[in-house]
Amino acid sequence: MLEGAKSMGAGAATIASAGAAVGIGNVFSSLIHSVARNPSLAKQLFGYAILGFALTEAIALFALMMVFLILFVF
Amino acid sequence: MAYEMIMKPMTFKITWKDGLVITPWERPIGPTHGPSDPSLPSGSPVKDALDLAQDVPHSPLDQFAIKSFLDMRVGYLYISFTNPTFFMLLTLGLVFLLFHLVTKKGGGKSVPNAWQSLVELIYDFVPNLVNEQIGGHVKQKFFPCISVTFTFSLFCNLQGMIPYSFIVTSHFLITLGLSFSIFIGITLVGFQRNGLHFLSFSLPAGVPLPLAPFLVLLELIPHSFRALSSGIRLFANMMAGHSSVKILSGSAWTMLCMNDLFYFIGDLGPLCLVLALTGLELGVAISQAHVSTISICIYLNDATNLHQTFFIVIFL
Repeated sequence: MLEGAKSMGAGAATIASAGAAVGIGNVFSSLIHSVARNPSLAKQLFGYAILGFALTEAIALFALMMVFLILFVF
Repeated sequence: MAYEMIMKPMTFKITWKDGLVITPWERPIGPTHGPSDPSLPSGSPVKDALDLAQDVPHSPLDQFAIKSFLDMRVGYLYISFTNPTFFMLLTLGLVFLLFHLVTKKGGGKSVPNAWQSLVELIYDFVPNLVNEQIGGHVKQKFFPCISVTFTFSLFCNLQGMIPYSFIVTSHFLITLGLSFSIFIGITLVGFQRNGLHFLSFSLPAGVPLPLAPFLVLLELIPHSFRALSSGIRLFANMMAGHSSVKILSGSAWTMLCMNDLFYFIGDLGPLCLVLALTGLELGVAISQAHVSTISICIYLNDATNLHQTFFIVIFL
């Protein structure tokens, strides 16, 4: 029964990556908008976009870390 | 068993239930392995794959186990030479070797070869960050500390991508220790440079005075959260990434052996997924080192300049 509860907890914790998916889409949508406005800054804007992507992905990985914690540690 | 481990911490040897005697630094990983499910037909590749998998660790988190090579105790302190110690020293050794081999015989050539370009890239990355993020006139003093932090986390992350290696930054003890120490240093620098005026950082301009104490106390929470978030971001990225690769590669191995005619011409799908995920892991390793360094620069800027901006210059 504990194994079933662990699996359920892990499945529920994975829902948090939905928020991270929306966030990453937002970052790259802003990149496309701003490159369309000012294509000469494309390289620098891409650097900023990768920074934003890394920070947003970190939240998704917080959720994944909780999943592994629930599945394999508790 | 757990009660004994807590209440008798100085016991040098622990006896587990089937007579296995270990030191406190070791922990038997999961149940002992037996043969695979006897209901599988005895010639099938699935049974063989599962039997072959007996001597790999039972849980995908076992790649992060800390084993000690040389047990040393000083009273109540354990100063053993462990896995992370060895791999941190190996990282340092590799960084020094790379920088030495490129800069010996008078500091490299003026037309750089590939190794020298790589070292110049790593070296030049940090002054751009420092110049961009920290305004004002005191920025170059912090360059060595930030450069060492960046190079250390970059090479530790990259070294963890070597198969069967150990990822030093995948333990929150190490990343939180690094980020807490740097954060305490930044706070001290802020107090040294600005005196008690440093506390005005938490008070935005134009706030009515009765609201001020409440706001200052409330600002302390996100301020101290920054130390925690830097460490946990690096730890969570490395740990979750490597656990995912471990889980997927276990599935890829099973799928590869699933063919009844030949081995290794089974389903290649999970293997391509593992390949793609490893590529993503390499990108994440570099980008997380970059992100943690840039966040340290931002915190330093906030501590030394207190929301003032003298000039805004974009380098990158």
